[in-house]
Amino acid sequence: MNAGEALRAGAREIYANKFRSALSFAAVSVGVASLLYTMAQTQGMKEALEKNLELMGPGRLTIEKKRNYTSKGLSQGLTYGDALALRRELPDLYMVEPESTNWGRLVHGRTSINGVKMTGGTPDFARRDWVYRLRGRFLNEWDVAHRARVAVMIEPAVWIKKPFWAKFWGDDNEYDSFAKRRDLLGAQVRLEDSVFTVVGVLTQPPRDKDPRWDSWNTPNILVPITAYQQHLAQDMNTPDAVDEIRVDTGDERTLASRRKQVEVILKRRHRGEEDFEVKDDREEIENKMEEMRKYVKAGLALGVVALLAGGIGIMNVTLATIFARVREIGVRRAIGASRADILAQFLFEAAMLGAAGGVAGVGLGLGGVKWLAGLGGSRDIAQITWLQCAAGIALASFVSAAFAFVPAYRASRLDPVEALKAE
Amino acid sequence: MNSITVDGLTRTYQGGYQALKGVSFAIANSEFVAIMGPSGCGKSTLLNILGLLDRPTGGKYLLEGAETARLSDAEITGLRRARIGFVFQAFNLLPRLSALENVALPMAYAGQGVEERRARARELLTRVGLGRKAENTPLQLSGGERQRVGIARALANKPALLLADEPTGNLDSKSSVEILALFKELNAEGMTVVLVTHDPAIGAAAGRVIRIKDGALA
Repeated sequence: MNAGEALRAGAREIYANKFRSALSFAAVSVGVASLLYTMAQTQGMKEALEKNLELMGPGRLTIEKKRNYTSKGLSQGLTYGDALALRRELPDLYMVEPESTNWGRLVHGRTSINGVKMTGGTPDFARRDWVYRLRGRFLNEWDVAHRARVAVMIEPAVWIKKPFWAKFWGDDNEYDSFAKRRDLLGAQVRLEDSVFTVVGVLTQPPRDKDPRWDSWNTPNILVPITAYQQHLAQDMNTPDAVDEIRVDTGDERTLASRRKQVEVILKRRHRGEEDFEVKDDREEIENKMEEMRKYVKAGLALGVVALLAGGIGIMNVTLATIFARVREIGVRRAIGASRADILAQFLFEAAMLGAAGGVAGVGLGLGGVKWLAGLGGSRDIAQITWLQCAAGIALASFVSAAFAFVPAYRASRLDPVEALKAE
Repeated sequence: MNSITVDGLTRTYQGGYQALKGVSFAIANSEFVAIMGPSGCGKSTLLNILGLLDRPTGGKYLLEGAETARLSDAEITGLRRARIGFVFQAFNLLPRLSALENVALPMAYAGQGVEERRARARELLTRVGLGRKAENTPLQLSGGERQRVGIARALANKPALLLADEPTGNLDSKSSVEILALFKELNAEGMTVVLVTHDPAIGAAAGRVIRIKDGALA
């Protein structure tokens, strides 16, 4: 009996028992879908991590205020002065960027918008994760030194292909829709109570292509940190305070030693108070990835369990099929089928059921991954290869055939005379 | 050479029931033999052993001069496939397959090519007068037609021996006559035919009748 015929015979049998077959491969398809999704995620995560590391460079540190720390009154907290000191004492650092952020009001003409994310920074902002296109000019050292009231606007990112959720919920806030409609280059805008001149406009890459893992964290408006402190900061008690200082040693090998030096310098300046934390950005990302990896493992476990459950379902169906077809087995034996023929027939039917489940699972998985990729925004998790699909289907048929082996073997050992007597 | 030689054949079932108590006879090539006897006399058991579906517990069974007792299951299956054709009382066609596919099935197990199989199956169906109904499924055929398909299937691998268990038992008298005529025709062409029957008409048509009673020749 050749493969084509066996295929047709199997298909006929499955079609004749549609409901039973569908039930039995439901679990298999869930298993395949789950495995597929997990594989896609692993792949997507790996790529996201690599892309981001490449973009970020190897020597990145973030200095933040320590959480839940009560000052003894000796330290002034993290300040712009700290950043200047780091620059001065460690001149080989590639980047030292103090940064503070506030959400405030922007007024242009008659338009007034609240909740605009305004960040104070330095020209070194351009030294990290630079994915933008610039019109006009960026902040420079003169702006920072002279507390110039100049601003760089960051346009909202667009989609190449808008995901379902963004269409459904709408992903534009007030600022986005305002900035989209107006070109403010050269215009004067009021930020909180002070007038700033827009000297540059940054365009972000499309959201689906953005390599940054924290692209949602992009500010709307960037001003010199000094001007920020004077005009936009809200805490008047600590006029020199900054939220964080971002450092890039420029070299992976110097990361550890520079990190120590940074800590020593800051501790000295903070009069012995360790009210700050120095974090390795890569560790941060890797922690996040580790967290995601746990979810992936859960998905994998779910897939395996579902596949096993599906296998048992197939075993059950094979048993039922054989029970209903004992007489057929007798007839086939009488007209010349060997035990091996009978075994092969039922294994093949089970494998076909499994493959059908696998195909359904691939459909389910692809749909699910596409949907989830949409949910995840710019993440490229929809990275399923044909090979993975084929592997999923093959696995489903293999598992099914394996589980069908015992019933099929028993069928092949039936006594033909007894089998022929069955109703 | 004899087609079948049995010598002192016994068959005892688990639990001790003895269906055959030492049966000896020989059937020559191209003979038409009817095995007759009352229900439960052991004639079906005998036919199953002759058809290599069952094995005797004692005695000798030589098929075309070859001892069958020591053959493995695979060898027995091969022999059954190549040398023996079975016709059943209940036809035993596979309901989801067309007449043509049913007839072609034994050839598939014999490993023949698809085209070859289809051609021969069509030829056989024409031979039994069903050339036009090759694509019908068994449910679309009458009892007599089904038995013709059954006979065509039995002939698929060009066997030397045709075994039939009450082949007319489920048929009306008109169909029975036709089926019997078909058997006689096949026998006239040189086929050895052995059939189990209650029907005295078939017994009368057979060249020889072997009567069995209580597991022994009567």
